[in-house]
Amino acid sequence: MSSLERTITPPRRWWKVFGKRGGRSYFVLTALLPLLSYMLLWEVLPIIWTLCLSFFDYSPSRSGGVILGFGGTNPYIGLEHFRRMMGNSLQAQLFRTSLINTLMFAFIAVPLNLLITIPLAVAIESVHERFKGFFRFIYFLPTVTTSVAVAAMWKYLYHPQQGLFNIILKGVGLQPVIWLGDPRATLGGVPVALWAVILASVWHDMGYNLIILIAALQAIPETFKEAARIDGASEWRVFWHITLPLLRPAIVSASTLTMMYFFHAFDIIQIMTDGGPSNQTQVLVLDIYQNAFRSGRMGWAGAEAFILFLIVLLVTLLQLRLARKEWHYDT
Amino acid sequence: MIPSRYGASSTLSSIRRRKQRSSKQSTFYRPARWLLYLCLILGSAVTLLPFVWMLLASLKSASEILRIPPTLWPENPTLASYRTIFSDSGLGLWRFYFNSIFVAGCSTILVLFSSSLGGYLFAKHHFPGKDLLYGTFLISIMLPFQIIMIPRYLLLVNFQLVDSLWGLILPAAVSAVGIVLMRQYVDVIPNEILDAARIDGATEWTIYWRIVLPQLRSELATIGILFFMLGWNNYLWPLIVITTPERRTLPVLFTWYSNGHSNRLDLTMAVGVLVIIPMLLVYMVGQRWIIRGIAWTGSR
Repeated sequence: MSSLERTITPPRRWWKVFGKRGGRSYFVLTALLPLLSYMLLWEVLPIIWTLCLSFFDYSPSRSGGVILGFGGTNPYIGLEHFRRMMGNSLQAQLFRTSLINTLMFAFIAVPLNLLITIPLAVAIESVHERFKGFFRFIYFLPTVTTSVAVAAMWKYLYHPQQGLFNIILKGVGLQPVIWLGDPRATLGGVPVALWAVILASVWHDMGYNLIILIAALQAIPETFKEAARIDGASEWRVFWHITLPLLRPAIVSASTLTMMYFFHAFDIIQIMTDGGPSNQTQVLVLDIYQNAFRSGRMGWAGAEAFILFLIVLLVTLLQLRLARKEWHYDT
Repeated sequence: MIPSRYGASSTLSSIRRRKQRSSKQSTFYRPARWLLYLCLILGSAVTLLPFVWMLLASLKSASEILRIPPTLWPENPTLASYRTIFSDSGLGLWRFYFNSIFVAGCSTILVLFSSSLGGYLFAKHHFPGKDLLYGTFLISIMLPFQIIMIPRYLLLVNFQLVDSLWGLILPAAVSAVGIVLMRQYVDVIPNEILDAARIDGATEWTIYWRIVLPQLRSELATIGILFFMLGWNNYLWPLIVITTPERRTLPVLFTWYSNGHSNRLDLTMAVGVLVIIPMLLVYMVGQRWIIRGIAWTGSR
């Protein structure tokens, strides 16, 4: 197996790089070319480009310099954008609001998501084999639904007059709530509108975590639980002392993935509230989008995107640290 | 991101193992089991509620939907809203179905090609800088799209691809997740088979086409259906790129419709139902593959 592989050495002369037609280096070159150029053009270049944008006062409406439109009428301003983020301008205030909202959104939505999906995954896995498929089908349904449709149907549920939630509230004799349009309405210090988009997002997103958790549950050897049961442990204690600890790696990765997703969740918020009321649901990606494509402040948006990049990097490093612990078990 | 994917995929073989085991009764006590089923059914009802509410609204008449107090159940179920939509000449819904299918279909085909090719390349070939390139792919998986969307848009402007369907397809032609996955599956193809073909005089491209691709059939189906779904549901990128009304994909059309064109809730909900239905059909047919694809990739 390895003898053939060992004969392939990197070519020494650049013109021999294409090798014989049909040879292995010929294939490597022809296959690599599209992949490499895609990677450089659509992934690597944009990341560097975003970083550069954050150092320039860039607007697409100005023609600017020769290289990618930098320089000239799009002047270099160094760290001015980042300095301005601390300042008192409306833009900076909106940026800080959206940063706080993004963090609030993620740190409420992720625990909420796990509080729903962990018990749900365990419940689905412990019903009779015959019904598992049925329940899985139902609970994954929101996840495969187009996000714009999810946003529209939830917007309708929250509708002040025709929405189901207010019909129910009126039905039990409570005051109807203006879910998406009342900046003074709060619940536990968090705006009601933010709760509303969190609920819709969690409903839309829970299928992903269910899948990850169910796969992890199925990987837990039945023998462990069996042994505990023979020792007289109740189902509750089996769950608490065996299932849950063994699920930990899956929970860590599921929560990181979910958090990453909620950091850049866009569709549902944009359609349901578009940042309102009074910027209470303005999140970072929405601010980036509006600055870049509605106001033409791409330099500023690039600086914001760079902050988002730092946040994502931080979460990834945290997860790598958490995941480094040993979780092996032998069957 | 990566550990979860490996974790999830390695557990999938155990799903099959569990399936073979006879459908063992849960050891829950009877009342507890009934309670469990009750909770799950209630939960299902809550999960389905927004769908039902949308469907009911689309069946109400234009006057009924505005009535105060609102009705829960449509008094005279009517398909009038659907008829209005399909007869709206300013809308031409089929056009947008075509756009969506075209974009999702083309990008899926390109992703399948590039992923399997990249998988074969990374799994069975060596070249300088391979690990570096692979590392770049891995890093690009975790980057949110919003970080690179502005330069990507500017690139499209430079290529004069703004406001064209190819501007939606080309940036989505290669998927790092797809390549990483396919590499794992090509890795397990025995080298002996490939060497045998080489001795028989097959070129590497023939090997890719005749030996590697057929081996990857079920994996390709899995990520294919998943990427079709992701392409179909994509909203932000078409929202940025497309400006001509006729070139909109369904999600963008839908938001435009519900925000500007029509303030009528019954019509909005009816369009919503029409947008959901194709994905629902795909999900019904390919539920197993979609779920497996999500478990493998963790893509959202």
